[in-house]
Amino acid sequence: MTHLLPLLLYSGAFVLWVRLLLRGARGQASLLASGVTGVAVFVHAVALGHFWLRYGELPLVGPGAALSSLAFVGGLALVAMLPLRDVGRVAIALLPFIIIVQAVALILGIQPSPMALDFQGTGFVLHVSFAFLGYQGLALAFAAGVLYLIQHHELKEKRLGRFFHFIPPLATLDKLARVGLWGGFVALTLALAFGWAWTVENRGSLEMSDPKVIWAVLSWLVFVGVLLARAGGGRNDYRGAVAAVVGFGVVVSTYLVLRITVGATGVFL
Amino acid sequence: MERRDTMSLAVVGVSHHTAPVEVRERMAFGPSEAAEALLELRSETEVREAVLLSTCNRTEVYLFSANGPHVIQAWQSLLGGKAGRLERQVGDYLFEQRGEGVVRHLFQVAAGLDSLVTGEAEIQGQVRDAYELAASMPVDPPLAGPVLNRLFQMALSVGGQVRSETSIGEGAASVASVAVQLARKIFGSLKGKRVLILGAGQTGELIVEALDREGVQGVMVANRTYERAVGLAQQVQGHAIAMERLAEALGSADIVLSSTSAPHPILTQRVFREAFPGGLRRPLLMIDIAIPRDVDPAVGHDPEVFLYNVDDLRKIVDEQVRVREGAVPEADRIIQAQSEEFRTWFASLEVVPVIRKMRGRAEDLRTLELERLLRGMDHLSDGDRERVEEFSRRLTNKLLHDPTVRLRKGMGTGGGAELVEAFRFLYGLEDHNRPSRAARRSGEGRGDAGEPAGDGESKEKMGS
Repeated sequence: MTHLLPLLLYSGAFVLWVRLLLRGARGQASLLASGVTGVAVFVHAVALGHFWLRYGELPLVGPGAALSSLAFVGGLALVAMLPLRDVGRVAIALLPFIIIVQAVALILGIQPSPMALDFQGTGFVLHVSFAFLGYQGLALAFAAGVLYLIQHHELKEKRLGRFFHFIPPLATLDKLARVGLWGGFVALTLALAFGWAWTVENRGSLEMSDPKVIWAVLSWLVFVGVLLARAGGGRNDYRGAVAAVVGFGVVVSTYLVLRITVGATGVFL
Repeated sequence: MERRDTMSLAVVGVSHHTAPVEVRERMAFGPSEAAEALLELRSETEVREAVLLSTCNRTEVYLFSANGPHVIQAWQSLLGGKAGRLERQVGDYLFEQRGEGVVRHLFQVAAGLDSLVTGEAEIQGQVRDAYELAASMPVDPPLAGPVLNRLFQMALSVGGQVRSETSIGEGAASVASVAVQLARKIFGSLKGKRVLILGAGQTGELIVEALDREGVQGVMVANRTYERAVGLAQQVQGHAIAMERLAEALGSADIVLSSTSAPHPILTQRVFREAFPGGLRRPLLMIDIAIPRDVDPAVGHDPEVFLYNVDDLRKIVDEQVRVREGAVPEADRIIQAQSEEFRTWFASLEVVPVIRKMRGRAEDLRTLELERLLRGMDHLSDGDRERVEEFSRRLTNKLLHDPTVRLRKGMGTGGGAELVEAFRFLYGLEDHNRPSRAARRSGEGRGDAGEPAGDGESKEKMGS
């Protein structure tokens, strides 16, 4: 129930943002949507704090707990953006990701993992925390990229409808995607470094065929690819948005493939 | 106390509904002229309250006066004097509203419902300026007195409410504002953005002015004749460039505004490639309002180019105007509700002196009876005397509470005049030198023609 409440609040916030899109951004509606989003993140923080106090371990190990923490990091990013004019509207694209991740976490069960004893120490906590930041950075770039492409389409089609009015300017979305990508890239790089150091220290060597390692390295390469796409000559912003959307798709689908094929045996996440 | 049954709230003036621009521009008042006109109106007619609203679409004066026809006549001759010789009589161009019609009219004006372009936002500021001008006039009593003060404050609040709760102000409703809106949705802030202007034209100038207000910098002007480019550049505080340097200028521009009379496209794909040899790496907004078009449509196929021609802009304007007009019924509902609120408040002005008088009478009676009672009860201690006095006060208040509340409520729901009359009769509050309603109806009430007795309250009726 403690972890269901944030999911319900995230869903409620999403409905409010959609309502805002459909009815036009007026009056107190925007404040309400932002407020409910903020409350959802706060309640989520309380739920995760409760988990920590109750089980004496951070919710970082085990698929359910880890996914819930990942969703929470996304919520935190959203809360940081809410006070910025118009930028908070990116919630409409980021909240579905947060909702799906939290829902999957609930389905898998947010419980302490027996593996928690094997995964401990500051290095491990830093590794997981930075990894979450990295993936949320990519999710943010994805959300900004999706909105960028919709707004771009509206402008190209000369349709100044609901989406045009609701979605932030292209320049704002591009800046947001850039922040998400660079922040995420740095965080994931640190996550890989801490993960490698922790593994070498605790396990002796890093097993390159470990699905977690494969996915992490692939994710890092995706970041590099997306950043290179933005840096290349011509059509920078537009190509950057497409690359962020595709890159996020690759990372998520790779995770799902690995989860279904290898994860069923319990060795992956 | 003296009351009036005539409608004492009025608005008289010209607007785009009643007068063509040639007439309106001759009747327009700048701030200093408006101040002079208000002073003149006050000195000539002793009008109690007046606010003059003058914009390019309207010049109208809001009046609260016991001597309506005389003030209106003075205002007409003032307008006539300002306009000079006209094709028709001044009165032919004027409109006039009385009573609640004034409230509704002002609320509609402030909300942009009466504007040439439905929902335009500037009128809100113009209404505020008009009110502030009247409020700042050094005259006593103030021109923006209790009635117009309340009316204009409510109008500004209604304007804000309508804009925030409906889509009346959504989108842009002129070519220039659409251009600015597009630029904002592409670049976010326009500060520091560079604009390239090709050719000269009125619409183009309006767009440049609108962009200038958003903080664009480095306006470059190119024209077939260099001298004309220099002239326009001076107007928009930009710099002229020779047509031969067009590609170079295009390469550094964020927004291109084209309105030449060239028979063929000027900005062709060849010029575009020359301007961006490595490909366009950032968004470029191109507004082509020339007929025939100045920009080759193929240029618009680049993903970073947002090319709009005059038809595209017109279509957007039409669409946005339709959206705004769709919001009119919702805006009307807000205006209706707020007009009711004003009516209730206005009606309560008349009831305040009655209530005050009734309470005064009750207090006199209470004091008198209390004195009588205590005179024969010397044995009471000071504490007991205080308790008896407190009892009398409470009893009086309780007896008066319900009638007071009901009277106030009754004033807001219509039939207020009859209610006040009944109240006066029942509590014996009649003004003995004031004629009865029946007498006034039959025109015998000579005492009704003067100004209301000044007890510090506005007691005139708003009428209907």
